[in-house]
Amino acid sequence: MPKVTIDGKEIEVPAGTTVIQAADKAGIPIPRYCYHPALPVAGNCRICMVEIEKQPKQQIACNTVVTDGMVVKTNSPKAVEARQAVLEFLLVNHPVDCPVCDQAGECKLQDYYMEYGKYNSRLVDVKVKKTKKAFSIGPTVMLDQERCVLCTRCVRFADNITKTSEFGVFNRGDHSELDLYPGKQLDNKYSGNVVDICPVGALTDKDFRFKCRVWYLEQTKSVCPGCSMGCNITVEWDKSRPHQDKKARVMRLKPRHNPEVNQHWISDEGRYNYHFIDENRILFPQRKVVAIEWDQAITAIAEAIGPLQKSGRMDRVGIIVSTQLTNEDIFAIRKLFKDALKVPNIGFKVPEKPGYADDFLLKADKNPNTAGAAAILTDAVGGDEIIQKARQGGLDVLYVFGRDLVKLYGKETVEQIAKSVKLFVYQGSNVNDTCAYAHIVLPGAVYAEKDGTFTNCQGRVQRIWPAFPPLGEAKWDWKIVSMLAGQLGVPIDFKNSEDVFKAIAAGVGAFSEMTYAKLGDQGMVLKK
Amino acid sequence: MQELLPQLDKIVSQYEQKQAALLPVLHVVQEHKGLISPETEQEVAAYLGIPVVHVHEVVSFYHLFHQKPKGKCHFAVCQTTSCALLGAQEVIDHIRTRLGIEPGETTPDGKFSLSVVECLGACEIAPMMQCNKEYKGFLNKKKVDELIDQNS
Amino acid sequence: MQKIATRHFDQENPQRLENYLKDKGYEAARKALTQMAPAQVGEEVKKANLRGLGGAGFPTGTKWGFIPAANPKPRYLVVNGDEGEPGTFKDKYIFELDPHALLEGIIITCFAIGSHKAYVYIRGEYVKSIATVRAAIEEAKAKGFLGKGIMGTSFDLDVIVHPGAGAYICGEESALLNSLEGHKGFPRIKPPFPAVVGLFGCPTVINNVETLACVGPIILNGGEWFAKLGCEKNGGNRIFCVSGHVNKPGIYELPNGTPLREIIYQHAGGIRGGRQLKAVIPGGISAPILTANEIDVKMDFDSLKAAGTMAGSGGIIVMDDTTDMVWAAMVAARFFAHESCGQCSPCREGSGWVYRNIKRIYEGHGRSVDLKNLPGIINNIGGNTICAFGDAVTMSIGSYVKKFRGEFEAYINRSSDLEYAKSNH
Repeated sequence: MPKVTIDGKEIEVPAGTTVIQAADKAGIPIPRYCYHPALPVAGNCRICMVEIEKQPKQQIACNTVVTDGMVVKTNSPKAVEARQAVLEFLLVNHPVDCPVCDQAGECKLQDYYMEYGKYNSRLVDVKVKKTKKAFSIGPTVMLDQERCVLCTRCVRFADNITKTSEFGVFNRGDHSELDLYPGKQLDNKYSGNVVDICPVGALTDKDFRFKCRVWYLEQTKSVCPGCSMGCNITVEWDKSRPHQDKKARVMRLKPRHNPEVNQHWISDEGRYNYHFIDENRILFPQRKVVAIEWDQAITAIAEAIGPLQKSGRMDRVGIIVSTQLTNEDIFAIRKLFKDALKVPNIGFKVPEKPGYADDFLLKADKNPNTAGAAAILTDAVGGDEIIQKARQGGLDVLYVFGRDLVKLYGKETVEQIAKSVKLFVYQGSNVNDTCAYAHIVLPGAVYAEKDGTFTNCQGRVQRIWPAFPPLGEAKWDWKIVSMLAGQLGVPIDFKNSEDVFKAIAAGVGAFSEMTYAKLGDQGMVLKK
Repeated sequence: MQELLPQLDKIVSQYEQKQAALLPVLHVVQEHKGLISPETEQEVAAYLGIPVVHVHEVVSFYHLFHQKPKGKCHFAVCQTTSCALLGAQEVIDHIRTRLGIEPGETTPDGKFSLSVVECLGACEIAPMMQCNKEYKGFLNKKKVDELIDQNS
Repeated sequence: MQKIATRHFDQENPQRLENYLKDKGYEAARKALTQMAPAQVGEEVKKANLRGLGGAGFPTGTKWGFIPAANPKPRYLVVNGDEGEPGTFKDKYIFELDPHALLEGIIITCFAIGSHKAYVYIRGEYVKSIATVRAAIEEAKAKGFLGKGIMGTSFDLDVIVHPGAGAYICGEESALLNSLEGHKGFPRIKPPFPAVVGLFGCPTVINNVETLACVGPIILNGGEWFAKLGCEKNGGNRIFCVSGHVNKPGIYELPNGTPLREIIYQHAGGIRGGRQLKAVIPGGISAPILTANEIDVKMDFDSLKAAGTMAGSGGIIVMDDTTDMVWAAMVAARFFAHESCGQCSPCREGSGWVYRNIKRIYEGHGRSVDLKNLPGIINNIGGNTICAFGDAVTMSIGSYVKKFRGEFEAYINRSSDLEYAKSNH
């Protein structure tokens, strides 16, 4: 394997590695616009110029393959001069839109300019005007041709990743314009990704437009709950400026790199599915429509289950588990209801219509933790069976976690259930039609507020981190179960989610030897 | 475009990859129809099996392809160094005056259009222009008048 | 002086096969195909010191040698007939008057490099050339000089004419390949080089029209003969194109190494109207300009390089003392701005900026800071681009600013903006 020295640091890399890849591996930053690890090399921005010993001219790092013994200087006067020249040229026709441009704060023109720029503009002449400014090119993306540095990342993305070829660069010289084919729209199911890869504010997200300055955003790692793919994401949120966007905390989601799951990408379906984190939440425990205290709610449930416990009639209890819950939530449910109380009627399979799927990142199962539920709730019965029992008066307590029964089974069935069972509990995060029929409603947290894990369709267990505490009086689902367990005299003493996971690793064979530390931020696959 | 298919198929057969036939195919179609319309772009894209956006890229990049009809008599006047040294600007200005159009425009009656281009490879007959397909050199106001009158 | 590339030009209908055959037509090809091995052909061309006559002056035999022997993919010969370099018009004559000489050169070259398919890329505006070469190919096919089993040998060769569509940058060999493949004329990043990954990903040689037209005579008369005709390291003759303020603009075939002064005053009839010479572009618009004091230079690749310019395409543009050099710089800058393909940042933004800058000076709105900035801006383009177009902008426009700085200063001193905006700089 060839050894290359970059800025005095020697590293060994596989044959065929380019200088820019080697530098990235060594943690040495080389500026780039057109280079992207997931796209074919274009070599047109010219900003990744480096000086290579024994070569008279500076070379672009993205297209130079490392040879054994190569010595590279990324910050020699020659390399820096070339970089400054390129920056100056890119700024010649670039509109000084920073005050109104969403990219500000995460813009590669700004960033490199601050690091390498010449600062004093030499431009006396007029800037070249382009045709389209602040132009909608589809349901999710805005185009500004003047800001575009023609790096062609979006063109290469549409040609090679989605293979939908929406973008082209028309005309030539400094009248070149990035655009779609006249009359076409950018509306493939992954359109939002072009905003991620655009290094400047030429392609911006309509959903995020003018919403929040990026330097206010905090970032928390998580996993998208939209389907069983479990694309890795970063939840970007801000609590310090509550006047923005109707007090919402989450401003946007960004994909997080995981070569085994979603590489650099996320579907639009996943990307824009975050409004529920802040909208339409169940904020406090309720008995019918009246707000009550937590201890009142838990006591009421314990008082319904307690007698059945004493008389050995746990067959009169039914539990519907949502596959949107974390592994930790589901394990707590198992520990209380199956292991301790021996409730036979625990199920998670419901007649949910399969959603849109493709051969890229979209899966038909629109739940993030079906595989987790299947691994933890062995001997689960069908949800339909439980609902049938409840309808026919076979259950005294129906405890539903997060499933909108009205949507799945129809209003009539749920009306009947509410009449037939003595206690109908709904525990979930967002208001839905089922809440109105439940006797007790408990506010659960959403995934972005939880510390826990999901298991995706590959059997990969991936961590999610909590960005902020649950909204209102909502609590983590496993903590609510623990509270109920306490009142039922069943000791469930988990101090934190990691404790729960340790118990899962000890108690569920597929998870054996897993720890949070080992999961890291890229996950581990379940044992067979 | 149907009627051109035999000719186009023959062209396509000369190349390893269908896309390589794009320039000669566009030339044939433009010759036949007078311009490359968006419909033509889509037909050609479908015919060659390439995304239509890339056909449009090619049409917008090369100066010989045009999306608006040219006049029956098209003057492409060279303005590069040798022609410029020998009076290209006077030729251009004279055409502008006589026809009342600017470079890039067509006369309302569709008879003449003017464009200003770079070196056509005929510096030995400078100042010169390409009049439809033919090169016309050693131009002066008189010669330009003759050409305009001949084509009126 | 023995004429090579232009030897048939004065004849009647020299483009017809029947006339071409009257002067040893296709005998060189027959000799190569029946009496020589491909490697021998390459050796002869190396001995001839034949260097690329499109502009780069790269030794042709050496270029052929870059085709990797072990590569199993088909080889291609691509003929660069894009002839877009301002001041150049020689290949047009070869197309129109001696297409069979070109075809014969193509046959021999393809035999040498192992290619069975050649594309002749002709700029789209050369309507007559395209028709003439196509007709010559049909004539050659009909008589067995092209197609399957040429001249009774087992060597097959197809030659196809491919029209360009109006873009100077397609004269750059890798941009030409992209254009041939049906894309915009964007030059390719190198490595890989065309000899290894060229047309359709296959090993490819790209040669200029005139270069190939010399190959037949080289094989017939020997490489040494050709080498002796020129000067050391630059064998043979070349067709010089003279235009601008001369009495006799036109093509002149002369030995490589002919003094520039001789070409201008002896062959092209000197400066028109009895005026004085002011400046000369010696090798197409990309070549740094020479002042009237610098024309005692030999017209071969190495001498011109030593003189700080280049032999380039052989396009000699002569400017007399009526020429405004700031205006001439503007015209050249305008050409580059219009022809920049736009792929890479320095050339795309830089060529337009340099043009607008010089135009502003020419139109009387220059500022004193312009002369301080302009050379630096111009220098920042070359060396940072994907192809030599960027280098051409830097060298060419830079030479006007350097050698005629006084005229730029005069414009700026007369500028109407001079008294204003002073606090900015």
